[in-house]
Amino acid sequence: MRKAALDRVYELARQDKRVIFVGSDLGHGTLKSMREELPGQFVMEGIAEQYLVGFAAGLAKEGYIPFVNTIANFFTRRAFEQIAMDAALHALPIRFLATGGGMVYAPLGPTHTAIDDLALMWCVPGMKVYCPSDANEMIEVIDISVKALEGPSYIRFGKGDEPELNFSNPSSMVKKIGNPRAKILFLTTGILIHEVIKLVDQLPAKGGDCIGAIHFLQIDNIEFRTFREEFSSASIVYVIEEHIPYGGLFSRILHVIQKTGEPIWKLRHRSLAHNYPHNYGSQRDHLKSCGLDYESLLSEIGEEVV
Amino acid sequence: MYTLSNNMKKSLEVRSRAKSIPLNVEAKMMRIRAIEVAERAGRAHIGPALSVIDIVHVLYRDIMNRELLCLRDKRRDRFILSKGHGCLGLYVVLEKFGLLGNERLEDYCKYDSGLGGHPESKTLDSVEFSTGSLGHGLPVAVGMAYALKLNHSDSKVIVLLGDGESAEGSNWEAALHASKHKLKNLWVIIDFNNMQASGVLEDVLPLEPIEEKWQAFGFDTKSINGHSEAEIKDIFKTMTSDKPKCIIANTIKGKGIPIAEDSSEWHHKAKISETEISAIKKSLESK
Repeated sequence: MRKAALDRVYELARQDKRVIFVGSDLGHGTLKSMREELPGQFVMEGIAEQYLVGFAAGLAKEGYIPFVNTIANFFTRRAFEQIAMDAALHALPIRFLATGGGMVYAPLGPTHTAIDDLALMWCVPGMKVYCPSDANEMIEVIDISVKALEGPSYIRFGKGDEPELNFSNPSSMVKKIGNPRAKILFLTTGILIHEVIKLVDQLPAKGGDCIGAIHFLQIDNIEFRTFREEFSSASIVYVIEEHIPYGGLFSRILHVIQKTGEPIWKLRHRSLAHNYPHNYGSQRDHLKSCGLDYESLLSEIGEEVV
Repeated sequence: MYTLSNNMKKSLEVRSRAKSIPLNVEAKMMRIRAIEVAERAGRAHIGPALSVIDIVHVLYRDIMNRELLCLRDKRRDRFILSKGHGCLGLYVVLEKFGLLGNERLEDYCKYDSGLGGHPESKTLDSVEFSTGSLGHGLPVAVGMAYALKLNHSDSKVIVLLGDGESAEGSNWEAALHASKHKLKNLWVIIDFNNMQASGVLEDVLPLEPIEEKWQAFGFDTKSINGHSEAEIKDIFKTMTSDKPKCIIANTIKGKGIPIAEDSSEWHHKAKISETEISAIKKSLESK
């Protein structure tokens, strides 16, 4: 997913001189060809995230479109004030490419896992928050971010080996699969949609009909009308997210639904725990321990499907 | 025993001149205006405003092309007041040169005013970038200077930092990168009034040897008297190297008002008594 994003930024930079890539000590091989072909539009800075965001704001103020890339937490935690005051307060078109969303960097420990990034970014006024589920969506988001310039965007990267998905409505920010009138509805964002798809694959055909799922590619502006039909038809609505329980997708969905009079009691929530994990292993290990992998979800909904 | 470097000795000598330099009529008038506004609003960062006001005045009068500033022409020089709390000094200068747009200085800090206690680009066109939280101006200025260099522009980017603000690490991150990018169009001015909200720098956080520090970060540096119009004006002609520049402007917090000079109490003054106002005006009118 990261490679798709950076390659796309390179491609756009060749077409549009305003596009600049700014990295923070990302490794020798990062965009090597771009570095050689477009040296002015490729800036590899030191490990200095507060500066990096301010620098990008200065570029954007002068009419450039900076794509800034580093590990998710080092934006959201360390440079939060710069994101809020330099980028968002000035409504500048800075695109934050956040490597290692969620538990991607689980083996590296709690300093590197982005469990609270959506909450931090969602609360910044004017910030667009995207969680692509595969490389195609990543390219889609990068393209959108160059066409719609107003304000900053936060783009959460997945691990990178996700299979490409075929949604029934690929050009929408609210992507749907399965039966729109299903009894069990999953609402999710980012790579967890793949777990729902695996879950459906495990069910017999009739069971699969019981499942519908919606993946919100952009989570800062969810509107109820975009999933009213599915929500109203479902008996149970699971909101699953690779994030702490607060300030992420579930909070957003609650906020949206409480204004509609629709029954909130249908909602079930599965998320990461509200603590800094002290286990390592893999992203999948952590999804499993929090009941977010397809096997855990299958075992949870088993009775409902039967 | 601690020995003073040559730069530090020079700095002490310049500070002494900053203290004793008399103010001309223009400088006094601007200070009277700032005090009137602070009196009306009931509060202001008076000390910082009066330590930067002569620097800002010379920048707008002699260094930056005001016609280009008025037109927001892309060839204009950019100025960021990173120590945004000194904005009363900036507003007085902008008013003097007709750069306040529809805003009135009398409305300073009122609910509907475009002139807040820290400057905002959203509410005032002549403000290049909103500041207030410290340590933001220089990184942004480096981004602007890099962009202007890419555009082969001759415009300068001037950023005014406080000495207390220099404790923010983001400044030093930005300084390293400015040097790496050889941004000769970047001008950093340190308002070195040797005092912050809690007291003198030596007690809160010593910065000396400040000039050596900036030199070590790859800047061309010079120390001047920040209340001498001639020195401020000349320094932009004499510093011609290909490096980014850093001017240590030795200033006096509250310069021009004896009861406020070198006083941390006047860093942010919320209640100014009638007796104090009367004493201030008398001292400015009599000198």
